[in-house]
Amino acid sequence: MADRPGFRRQYDAGLHLLDRQIVGRDGLPVAKVDDLELRVRADGRLAVSALLVGPGALGPRVGGRLGRWTVSIWRRLRPDADPPTGRVDATLVTGTDSAVHVTATTEELGLDGFERWVRRYVVEPIPGSGHDGS
Amino acid sequence: MKKVFALALGILTAIGGFVDIGDLVTNALVGSRFGLSLAWVVAVGVVGICVFAEMSGRVAAISGRATFDLVRERLGPRLGFANLLASMGVTFLTFIAEIGGVALSLEIATSVNEVLWVPVVAAALWIVLWRVKFEVLENAFGLAGLALVVFAVALWKLGPDWSALWGQARSAAPPPGESWTSYGYYVVALFGAAMTPYEVFFFSSGGVEEKWTAKSLSTMRLNVFVGFPLGGALSLSIAAVTAVVFLPVGVQVNSLAQVPIPVAVALGKVGVAVALLGFFAATFGAACETGLSVGYSVAQFFGWRWGKFVAPRQAARFHAVVLLSTVLAVAVLLTTVDPIAVTEYSVVFSALALPLTYLPILVIANDPDYMGGSVNGRFANALGTVYFVVIVVVSVAAIPLMILTKGGQ
Repeated sequence: MADRPGFRRQYDAGLHLLDRQIVGRDGLPVAKVDDLELRVRADGRLAVSALLVGPGALGPRVGGRLGRWTVSIWRRLRPDADPPTGRVDATLVTGTDSAVHVTATTEELGLDGFERWVRRYVVEPIPGSGHDGS
Repeated sequence: MKKVFALALGILTAIGGFVDIGDLVTNALVGSRFGLSLAWVVAVGVVGICVFAEMSGRVAAISGRATFDLVRERLGPRLGFANLLASMGVTFLTFIAEIGGVALSLEIATSVNEVLWVPVVAAALWIVLWRVKFEVLENAFGLAGLALVVFAVALWKLGPDWSALWGQARSAAPPPGESWTSYGYYVVALFGAAMTPYEVFFFSSGGVEEKWTAKSLSTMRLNVFVGFPLGGALSLSIAAVTAVVFLPVGVQVNSLAQVPIPVAVALGKVGVAVALLGFFAATFGAACETGLSVGYSVAQFFGWRWGKFVAPRQAARFHAVVLLSTVLAVAVLLTTVDPIAVTEYSVVFSALALPLTYLPILVIANDPDYMGGSVNGRFANALGTVYFVVIVVVSVAAIPLMILTKGGQ
């Protein structure tokens, strides 16, 4: 694992992880790293335990009134009373280059709620939504 | 022939940036009021956009990241979001103006009022963005936009006093009767029209979609160094013909309908028909470019799937943003707002917003972590830094000059 290209022994979590693009196993974009979840290891040092994604994680980092609005609108639009923040476990990360690569896809991670909603109610009803433009 | 089409992305980007509706009118107006005394700004702008687009194209090819990804990575969520709102606002204003511009070109050709054309144009545009292949879009509008070469032909046919034109270009000062502040305002407007953020969003995103790698660098550079100077030359030839025909008689250009008149003088009806085809293709191409750029910037900021190469249902949020902005643009245009006025403001605001998009690219183009061995060389860095200073100065001067001159009057 350690000699994989794009796998670092040391990294600056703020510089190499925060706000980077997460790319899934299928090579498609998953989301941005909106925040990080840290845990204290047995030796007292901090380690990243998960990448946090979605408005619930981004809002507090934006801060101020805009940040609070982001979080409360997101909560209001979610069906559950206390929605969990989107999470990608650190064990899924295979390496970082200009993006953070993970072994799952957006669908498997269950991070595509908004995308699925837009697809179902806005895009799919329009004819021709299944044809690519390549 | 394949080589010609390999340049289509650069040519479409440049035509959308240099001879879109804003530039068509601004260049003609500047030619009729200031002659060629502002030609140096176009030259400075061409070099600037080449530096900027080459860096962002190189970053896109090496790291696979388009421009707005990097904006957020380097500015963080808060400042990045502010930049998103600003850049998207400017691009959306330009998008409105381009749809209006296509409608105005059709009005000139058909005498049917532009407001009636707006819904038709927007529907056609949206179908193109929804269904038509990216390649077809590049080739059709990029190459048809080259019809604007008719302005260069017209200039040659008018047989102007070349030494007098060269004298104007060399003077770099307002002609008698024009003030330095309004001259300064048009410096900002022309520079802002040459270096717009959306050109770089479009170019770098197009590169990511075409899956550029380190091997594509030479094609990318060819796109930059052929496309933008060509766009700049077209916009200069428009300024030159209006300087020859309108400046001596003191007529000011303030509508699109006046722009083809010098072509009519030189080449007659056929020339005007070709010019109108060029207007249509260039504004329609620019509308595609800006419409997609609105979607690109939002999707890249939030990490959504985006692009023309996947089916709309695979990039649902991206296509929803494009659809929503098309509908909103129609709503704005149906208030009968003047598209030319919209575009004049958008170029000045774009000069204001530019530093926040330029700086992250300059920083990342120097970051071996992203770029490996393809970081900026000394020459690219020297030019890149000089232009950063220029961009900041222009950005600071934009609003005061706009207020002082009441928008260049």
